[in-house]
Amino acid sequence: MNAIETEDLHIYYGKNHVIKGVNLEIPEKSVFAIMGPSGCGKSTLLRSLNRLLELNEDAKIKGDIRLFGKSVFDMDPIIVRREIGMVFQHPNPFPHMSIFDNVALGLKLNKLVKSKNELKKIVKWALEKSALWDEVKDKLHEPASALSGGQMQRLCIARAIALKPKVLLMDEPTANLDPVSARKIEELIFELKKDLTIVIVTHSPAQAARVSDYVAFLYLGKLIEVGKTEDIFENPKEELTEKYLTGRMG
Amino acid sequence: MVRMDKFKTFLAPFCGLVFGLFILMLIVYLTASLPIFEREGLAIYTTNVWKASENPQKEFYGVLAAIYGSIYTSVLAVLIALPLSISFAVFVIDYAPKRLKEPLMVATDIMAGLPTIIYGIWGAFVLVPILKEYVMMPLYEHFSFIPLFSFRPVTGYSYLSAGVLLGIMVTPFASAIIREAYRSIPYIYREGVYALGATRYEATKILLGYIKPAIVAGILLAFGRAIGETVAVSLVIGNVFNINPSLFAPGYTISSLIANQFGNAYIYKYMVPALFAAGLSLFIIGLIVNLAGLMYLRRFKYAR
Repeated sequence: MNAIETEDLHIYYGKNHVIKGVNLEIPEKSVFAIMGPSGCGKSTLLRSLNRLLELNEDAKIKGDIRLFGKSVFDMDPIIVRREIGMVFQHPNPFPHMSIFDNVALGLKLNKLVKSKNELKKIVKWALEKSALWDEVKDKLHEPASALSGGQMQRLCIARAIALKPKVLLMDEPTANLDPVSARKIEELIFELKKDLTIVIVTHSPAQAARVSDYVAFLYLGKLIEVGKTEDIFENPKEELTEKYLTGRMG
Repeated sequence: MVRMDKFKTFLAPFCGLVFGLFILMLIVYLTASLPIFEREGLAIYTTNVWKASENPQKEFYGVLAAIYGSIYTSVLAVLIALPLSISFAVFVIDYAPKRLKEPLMVATDIMAGLPTIIYGIWGAFVLVPILKEYVMMPLYEHFSFIPLFSFRPVTGYSYLSAGVLLGIMVTPFASAIIREAYRSIPYIYREGVYALGATRYEATKILLGYIKPAIVAGILLAFGRAIGETVAVSLVIGNVFNINPSLFAPGYTISSLIANQFGNAYIYKYMVPALFAAGLSLFIIGLIVNLAGLMYLRRFKYAR
């Protein structure tokens, strides 16, 4: 089954037409990479999937997005965002909250836990899942701002998966990290895809090749090519894709 | 580098001047109030007496009522201004239509800059009668067993009137600080909180937590403005040496006391030192409040 499908998706910022008729089918429990040069609209496309784009009053969306067959526009955006977690390019744990509170926040907001014990359990589970538990278990109540960039990003992953979403969106999650931290995040992606579907945006073809099962190449708001990662990388059908992959563009 | 240093030597005297004036003023306050301390000791701050006499032997001054009134009305003002200014800031930034945003902000900035006598006369002739008729009387009639409401509002001039008026006056200041901080919250945190499935109300609450230091700064500024405000307060406080727990009782504040008494103070031997000592107490209160605020803010040192 497809976790997410988009149908003839168009996105406008005011008069700017930034996404032009994109059709995607994202299979369940896979890693789906959206790659393309800066400004191709990949972050915009990603933000439309969990309806986060609608925070921007200028953004207009046409077409349909379906989550497991159901149009997200027929759902409460709060439910959509609970089912589709998100990790951002800049690690953004709330600096005024403790590590524990950051992970617990989504659970508290959505009233998903009944007792303190349950909350503690899920926070621990999420931190373990995001390979951060061992590093923070002794300082859960210290401010999140005390962590390193890579740790903060894993904390953001823990914060997102604590809600047990079906889909996790990642917007260039390693773009601001050092190589070691970046590798840890990539390893994490392999672990996480056992349980959920991951849509990752990246400007790096190498990263797409390493982590994804499927890849879509976006250029100037248009979907140029989409398919299994090995097919696209070994055998691109479009000239633009080949140019991009060989570093002659973007 | 040489040019930079020249600029530095040009700037340094100005810094020295500002700081020097401040120190000088403090020294003047201390020396000018010395006679009253020599005569009464700390009784000037701990008693509620105002005995002016041409015979210096009979003079005695204690400004406790004014200190009490200053703190009472300023705390009231902050309690009123805080919810108003936070709500206003959030509305302007998150909800107001784009065309209205700028005019709303300009309007409050103008409100902040208005001469305070304008608030005072409005307070005395409009606010006080309304408060007396529709707030104080009903509360007194039904709830006079509660100490807060226990004083019969005869004139309407009271701590409550002063507190409400001050609250209205300081709201634009607190609001401007909170608004600017709220506006400059990095977008990544807004996205972050909404991506977790927060409603607008929940998101706002969390984002306000993020700007807590600015809110504390807003409170400090509001309190400072309120406790220092003179003319407007003296028009609605009643100017009575009185210490009463009731909101509806008239009272005094330090600044209104000084403003009302300074005209004839030179006639008496100890009244001028007493007024200086009263001023010094404002100075001390301001210092304590600001230090407390700074210490509280220290706890919020985090990387942005």
